[in-house]
Amino acid sequence: MTRLPPRATERLDRSQTVAFTFEGRTVQGYAGDTIGSALYAAGQRIFSRSFKYHRPRGLLCCSGHCPNCMMTVDDVPNVRVCAEPLREGAAVRAQNVIGSLERDLLSVVDRVAGPFMPPGFYYKTFIRPRRFWPLYEKLLRGAAGLGRVDPHAERTGRFDTEDRRVDTLVVGGGRDGLKASIAAASGGESVALVDENPEVGGSLLLSETGVSQARKLCEQARRAGVDVLASARAIGLYEGKLVPVDCGELLIRFRAERVIVVAGTAEQPLVFPGNDLVGVVLPQAARRLVNHWAVRPAESAVVITADDTGLEAVEDLQAAGTKIVAVVDLRQREPRAIAARGRRGAVTAVEIDGQRLACDLVVASGSPQPNYALLAHAGAKVEHDPARGVFIPTELPAGVESVGAAAGLIGAPAVPAASYEPARRRPGKSFVCLCEDQTTKDLKLAINEGFDSIELSKRYTTVTMGPCQGRLCHLNSIRTYAAETASSEASIGTTTARPPWAPVSLQLLAGRAHEPARRTALHHRHREHGAEMIWTGEWRRPYSYGDPAGEAAVVHDAVGLIDVSTLGKILVAGPEAAAFLERIYPNRFGNMEEGRIRYGVLTSDAGRIMDDGTLARLSPNEYYVTTTSTGAEGVIEWFEWWNATWQHDVEIINVTSALAAVNIAGPSSRELLGRLTDLDVTAEGFRYLDAKRAYVAGIPSLLLRIGFVGELGYEVHFPSPYAVDFWNTVLERGADLGVDVFGLEAQRILRLEKAHIIIGQDTDSESNLLEASMPWILKLDKDDFVGRWSTEHVDRRGLMTRLVGFEMDAAQLPLEGGQIVENGRIVGRVTSVRRSEAVGRTIGLAWVPAESAQEGAEIDIQVDGRPAPATVTLKPFYDAEGERLRA
Amino acid sequence: MTFLLLCPNCGPRAVEEFITTGEVTVRPTAAPSRRELSRYIYFRTNAAGSQREWWYHRHGCELWFLAERDTRTNEVLGTELPPATRPEAG
Amino acid sequence: MRDIFLRRRMWRRRPELQRNYDAVIIGGGSHGLATAYYLAKNHGLTDVCVLEKSYIGSGAAGRNTTIIRSNYRTPEGAEFYQRSVELYERLSAELGYNLMFSQIGHLTLAHTERAMVTMAERAEVNQLLGIRSRVVDASGVKELCPEIEIGDTVTWPIMGALYHEPGGIIRHDAVVWGYARGADRLGVEIHNATEVTGIERSNGKVTGVQTTRGPIACDTVVSCTAGWSTLLANMVGVELPIWTSILQAFVTEPVKPFLDVVIVSSQMHVYISQTDRGEFLIGAEVEPYSTYSTRATFPFLEYSARHVLELFPQLGGLKVLRQWAGICDMSPDYSPIMGVTEVDGFIVDCGWGTYGFKAAPIVGTTLAELVAAGTTPALIEPFALERFYDDLPVSELAAAAVSH
Repeated sequence: MTRLPPRATERLDRSQTVAFTFEGRTVQGYAGDTIGSALYAAGQRIFSRSFKYHRPRGLLCCSGHCPNCMMTVDDVPNVRVCAEPLREGAAVRAQNVIGSLERDLLSVVDRVAGPFMPPGFYYKTFIRPRRFWPLYEKLLRGAAGLGRVDPHAERTGRFDTEDRRVDTLVVGGGRDGLKASIAAASGGESVALVDENPEVGGSLLLSETGVSQARKLCEQARRAGVDVLASARAIGLYEGKLVPVDCGELLIRFRAERVIVVAGTAEQPLVFPGNDLVGVVLPQAARRLVNHWAVRPAESAVVITADDTGLEAVEDLQAAGTKIVAVVDLRQREPRAIAARGRRGAVTAVEIDGQRLACDLVVASGSPQPNYALLAHAGAKVEHDPARGVFIPTELPAGVESVGAAAGLIGAPAVPAASYEPARRRPGKSFVCLCEDQTTKDLKLAINEGFDSIELSKRYTTVTMGPCQGRLCHLNSIRTYAAETASSEASIGTTTARPPWAPVSLQLLAGRAHEPARRTALHHRHREHGAEMIWTGEWRRPYSYGDPAGEAAVVHDAVGLIDVSTLGKILVAGPEAAAFLERIYPNRFGNMEEGRIRYGVLTSDAGRIMDDGTLARLSPNEYYVTTTSTGAEGVIEWFEWWNATWQHDVEIINVTSALAAVNIAGPSSRELLGRLTDLDVTAEGFRYLDAKRAYVAGIPSLLLRIGFVGELGYEVHFPSPYAVDFWNTVLERGADLGVDVFGLEAQRILRLEKAHIIIGQDTDSESNLLEASMPWILKLDKDDFVGRWSTEHVDRRGLMTRLVGFEMDAAQLPLEGGQIVENGRIVGRVTSVRRSEAVGRTIGLAWVPAESAQEGAEIDIQVDGRPAPATVTLKPFYDAEGERLRA
Repeated sequence: MTFLLLCPNCGPRAVEEFITTGEVTVRPTAAPSRRELSRYIYFRTNAAGSQREWWYHRHGCELWFLAERDTRTNEVLGTELPPATRPEAG
Repeated sequence: MRDIFLRRRMWRRRPELQRNYDAVIIGGGSHGLATAYYLAKNHGLTDVCVLEKSYIGSGAAGRNTTIIRSNYRTPEGAEFYQRSVELYERLSAELGYNLMFSQIGHLTLAHTERAMVTMAERAEVNQLLGIRSRVVDASGVKELCPEIEIGDTVTWPIMGALYHEPGGIIRHDAVVWGYARGADRLGVEIHNATEVTGIERSNGKVTGVQTTRGPIACDTVVSCTAGWSTLLANMVGVELPIWTSILQAFVTEPVKPFLDVVIVSSQMHVYISQTDRGEFLIGAEVEPYSTYSTRATFPFLEYSARHVLELFPQLGGLKVLRQWAGICDMSPDYSPIMGVTEVDGFIVDCGWGTYGFKAAPIVGTTLAELVAAGTTPALIEPFALERFYDDLPVSELAAAAVSH
């Protein structure tokens, strides 16, 4: 580790060494180093191998934006080590090489296969024979890609997300950004400033006087109340002026009234043969190495620059003891030809107009391109400025501003040539795009093939689509196009700037998972009972307690208990409650007596079935409405939506979570209930479809005598906090009656025996009431209601399909989703099917052609790929007359 | 889904808090023909420009309201509660 | 191999726009170009132009997530897309252009019992139509995709999947370029940067179009302008049952091969594949509001990332490189709308939702037949616009909330 003497601008804490491994070897750096600077100080010059040709690549931008220093760090691929803070014990490995960075076996591609791999070569080859394509593809895929994802990696770390609102957000903490933030804060605005570097100050930090100026400005900003955030990278400017900021393990989503983009510029490479050799760098790279990390970048350097940044690098290099061989200021002298020469991929000399200058560093930069990406995300126009050869943002959207170099204030740089390739002699490769290894020759080929718009070319050559996302190649590719097609850059235009501004990790974007999951008040009791839990919508419910058929038998023979708290529960109350329900449901509710219950089905105005449930009239102006388990929110929104137009005097109150519900069902349920309440539970005192309020097990409850599972039963609704108490009491008091719990699967068997449908399973988004065999729901003798007209039209058109029951031999068991076939043609489908022990057959529900919807009609259902006979029935399979239910 | 919507009740909020049922349609007032009914149920103006639409503040005040939004830019031009006089909409 | 060195132009330089054509195809995407190609190839109709307001493949054809499959729920849809897959399988050889169609298999994950039933239904429908699809359980998923997380520590544990062996991915731009080259060589004219500003009609018949480069007389106009279909149809007075929204996608930085099957989860609104370049290509569902703005949104990145990591926790450190949005026309039943309209000579090809790219070859074949023969091919009869007036939707809607 050789370093220059301590400097005022350095970021190092020399009292603290940090050890890490690189390719298995231990390397030391200082606290404050990046992995890249520590490696450079340790003598490493080749940092990667290129995407396609496996050419050696070294540090180029040293600011975390180009692809040249991507390595795998602690199994995370594609880490830009020049900007990655050094940490003790980090395991750093080269990627996309076979062998080592210095001797990569794949570099044979560069020497041998180059001519065979122009852009798009894969479109023209490997076409015949077709069966070989998968093989070729495997080779292509293996060659592509950079780092490798560890297939055994686990999610580590903790990533959080935070929302903040400010009046003004300043993006970029250079001098202009700091000043803008101070001005805004002094005007009384709440202001935050974000900068992607570890310290704010931008290029001020590269000189001794600048450092103190930067710290002073930062101090001033903080005192003015600016929230100054370093290591905080704005990754996009989205609608509503949302600016997500990547702070490493924290993602801050800023919303601002005003966003000021002060993101500076991106230095641009010059295009000439050998411009990708190790040792050809941008000025900032040289300056950062010297000033931030006290490293002498090279022994001798040639500097070619379009503006002052190169000259500033000259000063820093000289101070670091690098011999300056020559300085070419393009504003004063424009060479016709430049070519870098190298050995083993590292630069050894540069030839300028035929003059050979030996050196081991070439600092080369064109006119700096304003970083307008964020502005473009927000919809700013971008125009070419021929005087300076760069694209400048114009016509900023409201609330978005830009100052400083990002806005185009970049002085008067020279406009470099599209390329400096010598006219004669065998030139080396001149790279326009380093990420994708695309040369001027490649772009010219694409143009000659007809890919003559910049967007088409981008897609064909993949220029600007690599990891730098065009930052270092967009401008040069457009210049190459302009030169080759003899048109202006302005007429060629830019490609669309797409977020994110810089790559952002999936784990940061993901933050912490917070998917919705709802559990009933009895969840833990179910677990104690040994329930197998499954998802139904957002809810977790017991599928069974181990023996679904046995659980169903308990309901048939004794008494069972099921948690139905997931049912949607809504109070509809008010002077116009009845009128409202009459209008939103196809059936009638206005003529119901108090204390009675009716089944209701909701349809859309297209007549499609949406949800079902029971409605109990609690008082003249008060109805208690239940919905399916997944339907509650949707039904309430539906009610509210229609009433936003109708404006009936009615309140719609969601009590789903407030109330638990338990269904007690089976022949012994009356006796059990009788033990728990003072209510008259006789057949006459508490009729089928009666709703009553009473204390059950000492708990204030609403009892609904309904029968989804087909046996005598009572659905008891009561405040959720009592649920466990209620559940335990019922089980205890019914022990001698053989009471037991049953789960969803048993309920499905039981309801299917009664041919009761499940909305969303037996119906889909196209099902209507008539074809779903529920014409009795429709009450056409009332006024207009939602879905009326559509249903009437279905009636007029005639039914095409029908939902019916079917029975078949118990040895056959089609799938739910199984197909009904007629001469090999699909004519219908099975929606529910079970083997019923109570019926002794396989039973189910299915959609069949309307003409087959007759008692005893024969249909064929696919079972294991073969049609099997089944018989249609229009009646319930069990207790067809409903005697048990009404007992 | 990033733009801001002005809830008449809660003020400007991120659009993720809301749901929409799309453009306001005109429900036929009398028993419509099949064609009239189909136009109401299926066909949409789908304007590229200002569109009047229904929004509901699901993760907020649970209120339905009307918004005027430019579908080319997602700029919300205005929002209001449904008028007290009942327009036949849905 | 020889072809690599052939520096033949892909297509002619932009020709002059003629003042009349037999047929004008609006939209230089995969559908428009395929229709043009098959008109010339199958029917010898070459007095045809394709008008593209930007550059070929600039719309949905260049923004989709390149998934090809035929495992649909409705028999109409499955049969139609199966024909498309078969055409895609032969297309590289036919066009002499490698479209890089990789039939790596397609897994539609099920995280709930309901979803398993849907998968079973799709498998049954597919098998009856000779389409290779089958239901696999969680361990079957793990076998086909060893990298995936099938444990129950995640929010939505995987119960199984529909495995569709012939499904896969293709290079979308190559499809566009291959068709464009094929059509161009057969004599069809392709005009980039030529926007249609009006459609002329007289006595209920199309008579021509107005463009930014002047008027064209023609008696057949085919609108293949996904996303802008309503606006085009409005020019000729045809109403459509469509709303427009955006579908988004992103790619990560390229890495070495990790995933060689297409993964789709409707529950998590996400689909994932790894391209030949090594990038993960990840997409979601359309935004739930109508919009013509193709600005990408940030919440899309957040929830997609969250869902990807539930399936592949290994990808946490992988970085998103670029996100974009494309606009789609959404139809009420998630099935396309194709064929004649009440205006004679105005043919629509729209309502593709998020499925359009998969159908390009069969759309081209059937629309070309419709234009050339004047009768609607049986395969696309169920997708007529008239079905909405008759209230006879072809519902793919119930197939899956997510569409890839």
